[in-house]
Amino acid sequence: MTEPPQPRPAPPEPDPPGPGARRAAAPPVTVAVAAARPGGSDDQAGLLARLRAGDQRAFAELVDTWSPVMLRVAMLHVSSRASAEEVVQETWLAVVRQLDRFEGRSSLRTWAFRILENLARTRGRREARTLPWSSAFPGDGEGDGGGPTVDPARFRGAGDRWPRHWTDAGAPVAWEPPPEDAAVAAEVRRELRAALDELPPRQRAVVELRDVLGLSSDEVCARLALTPGNQRILLHRGRARLRARLEGLYRGRTEGDGGG
Amino acid sequence: MGEPRRVDGSGGDAVLEVACQEFVELVTEHLEGALPPAVERAVVAHLALCDPCVEYLAQVRATTAALAQLPPPTLPEPVRDQLLGLFGRLHPPSPGP
Ligand SMILES: [Zn+2]
Repeated sequence: MTEPPQPRPAPPEPDPPGPGARRAAAPPVTVAVAAARPGGSDDQAGLLARLRAGDQRAFAELVDTWSPVMLRVAMLHVSSRASAEEVVQETWLAVVRQLDRFEGRSSLRTWAFRILENLARTRGRREARTLPWSSAFPGDGEGDGGGPTVDPARFRGAGDRWPRHWTDAGAPVAWEPPPEDAAVAAEVRRELRAALDELPPRQRAVVELRDVLGLSSDEVCARLALTPGNQRILLHRGRARLRARLEGLYRGRTEGDGGG
Repeated sequence: MGEPRRVDGSGGDAVLEVACQEFVELVTEHLEGALPPAVERAVVAHLALCDPCVEYLAQVRATTAALAQLPPPTLPEPVRDQLLGLFGRLHPPSPGP
């Protein structure tokens, strides 16, 4: 399991790669980045030497460069982002601890990702036992009862001339400016990330894989052992919640709309 | 929920009719191309006449487009710091260049 964060040791060098340095314009293309590319193994020996010599900056670069890819790979096996983060953390712990025993027969990257795959697969199997992916269907709402994804109050009643059509107040209003507009993009991203993390686990896994990572439905079904129909149910419910969250965001931006 | 109703068409043939409340539950299958042809036709016919549902569809599309634009995941800062700390302890900087 994860260890509690340790106090950071005294910086070994005047310019340690602290948190603030993460996105700073680092020295141009570095050994670590080069080694991260396929075929970039020329500097493999140099990178390994730097790491073994205790070059913390090289290690920090490696962590920052490989972790996003590792997280995505891990998410293909485990059911949540938090699990994926723990798997990547365990991977790096193993890399750090075993660095001196690494013989360099494969590339450092291949070695690290092999550790990752093993840890992620083991954890995924463990989770599959506690989180039965296919047993809760049909109509799995994961706690929201599998009911409608849009508030029924937004539609006209059976006695209306246009039953089950939007009411005037309930009809969706165009999002202005659109989510990709620079004026709202950051806010939209924050809202979506928060909303994703609050989705029920199965919905979140499907939406992450399909919409965030761009996997095909076939890939997602295979990965999560879902039938196409159940995959669509989870995708539908997850997307509907996220759309509703963005709608709420836009309503909040438009004061006096009276939508809430 | 989301069940299109079968109504009698003018020629006596049964045709499907989709109302807004059904459309919002069919939207994902519509986007996935997973609807039976008769239901898909009913959805398309509904969209041709219903601006609010066109807007709803656009919002679902905008949501998925925004999801695809989320920045790549990163490790939480405390985890990163912990890893760098462990690295510093297990691999102290060696003297020399
Ligand atoms: Zn409609």
